[in-house]
Amino acid sequence: MTPRPGKARTLKHGRPDREPGLKRANFGHGPGLPTLLLLPQFLILVFFFFIPSLRALMQSVLLSDPFGNNVHFVWFDNFTALFANGEYRQSIVTTLWFTVAQNVITLAVAVVLAFATDRVVRARSVYRTVILLPYAIAPAIAGILWAFLFNPVVGPLAHMLHALGIGWDPNRNPSDALRLVIMAASWKHICYNYIFLAVGLLAVPASLMEAAAVDGAGPIRRFFLIALPMLGPTVFFLAVMNFIYGFFETFAIIDAVTHGGPAGATNILVYKVYVDGFVNLDLGSSAAQSVLLMTFALICTLLQFRYFDHKVNYGV
Amino acid sequence: MNRKTALIAALFGVLAFAAPAQAARVEVQWWHAMSGVLGDRLNELVEKFNASQDKYTVVAVAKGNYDEVTNGVIAAYRAKRPPEMVQIAERGYMTMLLSGAIVPVQDLMDQKAYKIDWPDFIKPVASFWSYKGRMSAMPFNSSTPIFWYNKEHFRKAGFDKPADTWQELEAQLYAIKAKGVSECGSVLPGDFYWSLLENYSAINNQPYGTLANGFDGLGTEFVYNKTKVVSQVARLKKWLDDGVLQIAGQGFSPEQLFTSGRCSTFVNSTASHGNIERNAKIDWSATFLPHENDINPPLNSTIGGGAIWVMKGHTPERYDAVAAFLDFVAQPETQVWWHGVTGYVPATNKAYGLARERGYYKDHPTREIAVLQLSRGTPNENSRGFRFGNFVQTMLAQRTEVEAVFTGQKQPQQAMDDAVKRGNEILRQFEKLNAGKDTEADGKPK
Repeated sequence: MTPRPGKARTLKHGRPDREPGLKRANFGHGPGLPTLLLLPQFLILVFFFFIPSLRALMQSVLLSDPFGNNVHFVWFDNFTALFANGEYRQSIVTTLWFTVAQNVITLAVAVVLAFATDRVVRARSVYRTVILLPYAIAPAIAGILWAFLFNPVVGPLAHMLHALGIGWDPNRNPSDALRLVIMAASWKHICYNYIFLAVGLLAVPASLMEAAAVDGAGPIRRFFLIALPMLGPTVFFLAVMNFIYGFFETFAIIDAVTHGGPAGATNILVYKVYVDGFVNLDLGSSAAQSVLLMTFALICTLLQFRYFDHKVNYGV
Repeated sequence: MNRKTALIAALFGVLAFAAPAQAARVEVQWWHAMSGVLGDRLNELVEKFNASQDKYTVVAVAKGNYDEVTNGVIAAYRAKRPPEMVQIAERGYMTMLLSGAIVPVQDLMDQKAYKIDWPDFIKPVASFWSYKGRMSAMPFNSSTPIFWYNKEHFRKAGFDKPADTWQELEAQLYAIKAKGVSECGSVLPGDFYWSLLENYSAINNQPYGTLANGFDGLGTEFVYNKTKVVSQVARLKKWLDDGVLQIAGQGFSPEQLFTSGRCSTFVNSTASHGNIERNAKIDWSATFLPHENDINPPLNSTIGGGAIWVMKGHTPERYDAVAAFLDFVAQPETQVWWHGVTGYVPATNKAYGLARERGYYKDHPTREIAVLQLSRGTPNENSRGFRFGNFVQTMLAQRTEVEAVFTGQKQPQQAMDDAVKRGNEILRQFEKLNAGKDTEADGKPK
């Protein structure tokens, strides 16, 4: 049998020949120490994931007043009401648009930036610092910044668009509003993508790139044929992370930029969960929505792993 | 003085300060939603109370906006650690009243033998915050929308002041725009549903919902899709399309567009007095909200703002402190002071009389508009106020539908029909949840 790449090689002197760097951690005998080390993470999961998830599941089949003094068990009424609701279906479509667009833009821009700074020799760290800065800004602040820059009445960038003859108005044009939140959400997340890609590029062997250059491949060709395939696992990881980001972490941006409007145009699922739960105090519906949102995210992530994962080559 | 005596003196000093503090002061918490100028004033109020006696300490805790305060209280109540007092906006009235988590203030004050002159509270305030004739929460910051305008813009366009009716006002705003006095006649307030739809209905004697706008029971239904509200929405849409009305949008407040002199008029709460006085570089004034030309006389507007609710589940000593504080809030002197520094309406006739007596309105004429507008005419079923369950939720549904008109996705009639339909479904859910509670919440302790 020929040895396959990525797996342990043939035995030498009766012992598996391990690659340098891939050492197995040794925790001594018995389950004591590993359990102890896993405990903090486990407790965090229990208190911040499992218990709230169970509570959400329970709440989703109840109709209750916010103070919890009147509780009715309503079976799946909260769920059926959601699917009968046109606003909710629109929210699903909006969320898909928002998440996919945000994912594509974020990855594309981050890849270009990572490749560009990889080629820069002088003051590389300055460029990197500048690119990473947005990550240090709180989402709500970032949102306000974008809302202000593109405010049709006072925003300087909106004035530039108006001067170009573009009738930009996110207050009255639903697609402008959606574009604005996609831009704001992507901008905030580009740095996260960038840092992984920049590090990933460092791992691309210089010898391969040099060999290709000697063979006459230009930078763009070298990028698409060598660097990008080697970044496959990173890109896949980032796609999953962006997806989760779009689904769960963008509500502060939506809240600051559009409040989900106009007319529900940017009311993505996670923002709707927030508004129905914390503004409308409709806890049953909000819980049902968060259960559905979690299920959607789970299905999408599984699909990504099932289909996209096959196309990623980890064996480099 | 040698070291030893100094030490002893210091020790006595510490004891002298520590002893009464430990023995007497009962501390109670008050969670509120005031920020900016209003937050500073609220803290001053609490400090005044704390300094006025030596038994109780009220600790004011800012918990964010009204929604965040409500959520904080709900979470605290569910964790069985609610604050003693909480400021809740008028839209949360039914939720609080039927929550089973509160002590009606009139009961508390009776129990603690404080004499509050309840009939002296000005009518729209008293009728809004009371249930079956008894006050459920202590009126604190009551406001009503008034019409603010830029005097210079009106002068330049050849007008003395804004017209009383929507029809004439429309002509004025179009003239202001046409003459190039300002590029924006008016700016849409962030809470336009409150000032331009709900108060519009009250002033113009239009029914908003059945059962006296919800005052007579939980079975109420919205009816504003069959009233002048539809043409009001159409009017706003037309103004927007013609560039006479602007939406400030996120990242910038409507108030800033007015105070910077960009927009000539602005409908907003009387509570903006503090901010506008501080920020405006223009020659501004204010007047009554406009009314339709076929409504004569226009009725009163209705109140918004918040009140102080008392939460259940505390010790008698703490309720002593709460009652003492609420009594302090209800005093005419406190009311006059609060009215003056914030622009909120004085809650009692006594306080209003006191402010007049002192000639306060001669120097601050715009402060009186809200009171005069609130007490204009004889309140009827359409103008008494709005008391709907899940009121925030029905308002947001309506808001989304109005926005659909502004974006051109729906016609005004269609949008209002949809808003009423959605609103009624939400009302039915509240009714289902609180079925049979109507009699329990009698204002009497169970």
